Amino acid sequence: MILPSLLLAMFIIGYPIIDLAWTSLQQVSRFGQLRGFNGFDNFAEVFGDPLFYDSLWRTLIWTVAVVGGALLISLPVAMMLNDEFFGRGVARVIIMLPWAISLTMTAVVWRWGLNGRAGLLNASLMDLGIIAEPIEWLATAPLAFTAEILIGILVSVPFTTTIFLGGLSSLPQDAYEAAMVDGAGWWGRFRYITLPLMKPFINIAIVLNVIYVFNSLPIIWVMTEGGPANGTDILVTYLYKLAFRFGQLGKASAISLIMFGVLFAFTILYVILVMRAEKEEGVKEEVSASVEG
Amino acid sequence: MATAALAIGALGAIAPVQAQTRVDFTVAEYSSKTGPYYEEVASAFEKENPGIDINIQVVPWDTLLQRLTTDIAGGTAPDISIIGTRWLLDFAAQGVAEPVDGYLTPEFKSTFIDTFMAPSVIDGKIMGLPVAASARAMMVNMDLFEKAGATPPTNWDEFYAAAKKLAALPDTFAFGLQGKEIETDAYYYYSLWTHGGDILKADGTSGLDTPEALEAAKLYKTMIDEGLTQPSPTNYNREEVFNLFKQGKVGMIFTFPMLIPQIKAEAPDLKYKILPFPEGKAKATYGVTDTLMMFADSDVKEAAWKFIEFAYKDEWRTKFDHGEGFLPVTKGVAAEDYYTTDPDISGFAAGLPYAKFAPTIEYWEEIADTTVRTMQQIYLGQVTPEDGLKAAAAEINAIRAK
Repeated sequence: MILPSLLLAMFIIGYPIIDLAWTSLQQVSRFGQLRGFNGFDNFAEVFGDPLFYDSLWRTLIWTVAVVGGALLISLPVAMMLNDEFFGRGVARVIIMLPWAISLTMTAVVWRWGLNGRAGLLNASLMDLGIIAEPIEWLATAPLAFTAEILIGILVSVPFTTTIFLGGLSSLPQDAYEAAMVDGAGWWGRFRYITLPLMKPFINIAIVLNVIYVFNSLPIIWVMTEGGPANGTDILVTYLYKLAFRFGQLGKASAISLIMFGVLFAFTILYVILVMRAEKEEGVKEEVSASVEG
Repeated sequence: MATAALAIGALGAIAPVQAQTRVDFTVAEYSSKTGPYYEEVASAFEKENPGIDINIQVVPWDTLLQRLTTDIAGGTAPDISIIGTRWLLDFAAQGVAEPVDGYLTPEFKSTFIDTFMAPSVIDGKIMGLPVAASARAMMVNMDLFEKAGATPPTNWDEFYAAAKKLAALPDTFAFGLQGKEIETDAYYYYSLWTHGGDILKADGTSGLDTPEALEAAKLYKTMIDEGLTQPSPTNYNREEVFNLFKQGKVGMIFTFPMLIPQIKAEAPDLKYKILPFPEGKAKATYGVTDTLMMFADSDVKEAAWKFIEFAYKDEWRTKFDHGEGFLPVTKGVAAEDYYTTDPDISGFAAGLPYAKFAPTIEYWEEIADTTVRTMQQIYLGQVTPEDGLKAAAAEINAIRAK
């Protein structure tokens, strides 16, 4: 009974990829008509394009910074929300709120907020006397990209926190009680109990977030369209421009195939690393158990 | 089939029953007036030509290209359609567009303003007719000019001098310069063309490495550096520049006629004036057209053409141009007093005889994007105008050689 659904799943997942690979080897008109094979010309064009390497490098920074930032913020937030305190329900809702708003709307709101003359951020900072002159946040690439990464982190926190909250509530309480009896401090409990037991949840948060963030178009597209001067382009915004503005569907499908490859390789590699680490730990535990026994 | 038969039956009740020739016409929706306007033209035409049924489909601009693409691929393309002129090259290259030279009588051809015919000519053949046109011009805030004691400029030297005076006013930017997103390149072409340069040289290579192009770019860069524009133009797209103007913070902008109804609605007290672009070595404005195209696959070209000739009669064209706020593409309408006396529209219409157009060439969007990127780099100071333009020209020539 598994076979039919497996076949269906493979068809649904596999067909677009095969179609993409097929397209990437052909000359494609801007109306999407295939005009015959041109071998690896599309790929050669991609690899000869300096903007591709810039975007690839920026995609790397974008992914690492957003995922890293989201993890660093989400873990303490989840631990706080896991503790009992007055108003915890409200606090949980507030943390989850950004998740309820579509990514595009969030980006639009921030674009307004960061506007140099009419934006709320500059107005607040000037009222508080922190800055004297309005700052044009999105006018230069470094500042704009930093702002986009911070917003990326903000919108990734709810999802990551949810995963961590689920993990934390499943941790055995007796381990903490035993540690407290033994005189372990807060840091000791975090370092030797929480962190190791949370590892599977952290791993899943990393893999899922990397996949989402690597492919995420709306924030950058809405705020800067990859500009100024392509200074905030990541692969997916560059791809979007190629496909829907320049009508270069062949080159665009080559890039999206490369993106798929990168993500696929990352996921496989990561899973292997995690499995190997778990295996080693498993062996260590067995050894120590047998020594003690 | 049943509904089609019903529709024909219903029409038969009005018109005398005879074999109906159906012409499918896809209309781009410029405003809520577009659909009713073309329905009116069609019913007037049908009254005169009972054998022909004009079937109008109104499609929003955003989905028009995609709609036509799927229709063509599915073999259900209309007989005629309004399209963006920039798509014409692709339609022509793939044999979708029918050359109209054979249908176009010299008499009918002479009703068009010659400038607007040019963008539809591909490889010497006329692939479509201009159906809507718009041009750009300079808009100035007269209150600010009075306050600064400046006079509206006619050439770039006066423009610069006026900017100096305007910038001295508190909380005022002399010149609104666009540096972000769609048409950032157009803002540069205004300067390029009036300085005597062009997007492409006569031999088809990029015109960005010419002295005129350099002068045009240097002017903007100097104005940024001297604080004569709003700070950080790369953070301002077209609408954001126009918003600054509506707020009365900017003295001079370059704009299109569609801004006028916006100003009337949002800033009715603003005292503005439409003027030609400052002159350098040349007069110029940026003309934008849409094209009426006939499909090569159509079985009813004769009937379709009959309708086209009908729809280009002065009485219909004037109604269309006034209703949508466009500039005339036919000489008959252009001769109306309205286009020379109305202070709002005459400023834009004045530029028509010397209007320049975006070239109908392959990879145009990519070439435009290269120009946008280069301008942003120059505005940000990442490259000097000399190096930036030279590199852009080389890049564009490489794209052209593809």
